[in-house]
Amino acid sequence: MTRDKDTISRFHNRYSLPVTDAALAVEREVIGANVGASGYTTVAQADALIPELRLRPGTLLLDVGAGRGWPGLYLAQETGCRVVLADIPAPGLAAAVKRAREGRISDRASFVRAAAQYLPFQSSMFDAVVHTDTL
Amino acid sequence: MLRACNRLLRPAGRVAFYTIFIPSGLSQAEYRRAARAGPSAVTSHGRQQAELLRSAGFTGVREIDVTEAFLRATRAWYEARARYAGQLSQAEGEASFHERQRDYRLQARAIEAGLLRRSLFVAERAA
Repeated sequence: MTRDKDTISRFHNRYSLPVTDAALAVEREVIGANVGASGYTTVAQADALIPELRLRPGTLLLDVGAGRGWPGLYLAQETGCRVVLADIPAPGLAAAVKRAREGRISDRASFVRAAAQYLPFQSSMFDAVVHTDTL
Repeated sequence: MLRACNRLLRPAGRVAFYTIFIPSGLSQAEYRRAARAGPSAVTSHGRQQAELLRSAGFTGVREIDVTEAFLRATRAWYEARARYAGQLSQAEGEASFHERQRDYRLQARAIEAGLLRRSLFVAERAA
């Protein structure tokens, strides 16, 4: 549990950092775009998820441990699907809300502050679930 | 968590996730080094993931190894951040910046040594 708290605290701090030109340049170089990513899932790897999850307009996707909205918001943008983003660090979710607004997909995106172990959703609600390096 | 995912999916719904893991067959010393070098959220076993998916009620479990890309990304984070060291250490704090750079170095070495892997797992909830 301490390890979990440390991890949450680390991500909380990371998501609270100011977004600088340098950070954006580094993210573009590593990930391939400015999408709020701080891990190892590149744009090409996010694209690979689309056929695997059979995403299309109307599909309901859950992104667990969504951070600042990567890759859930991107997948919604690319496919027209609806997405629910779940994570604990509030600064990450706040950034995701802003990203959804800027990407004009707020009407297809929802945000829930919840831990991966305690997801407060009805059974059989989603068509697809994605998570990246949260296990 | 995989059981929760299974419960939340409609029948024939799909799950896909990238995960970093320590491969099986390592010595205790190698395992400890891998656990120290990997990201803090990562302790799982790849083989265990596939088994856990099946025992959680998923079918059609597939694993796609993306370790090479993981190594490229780890090196890229380190090298790109090093080029912007001045601005990033000002924003993150000097100690935090250097700690993250050290973590990327250790992680790259562990991947090169075969102590860490990353895969995409894909599966479907039984209809």
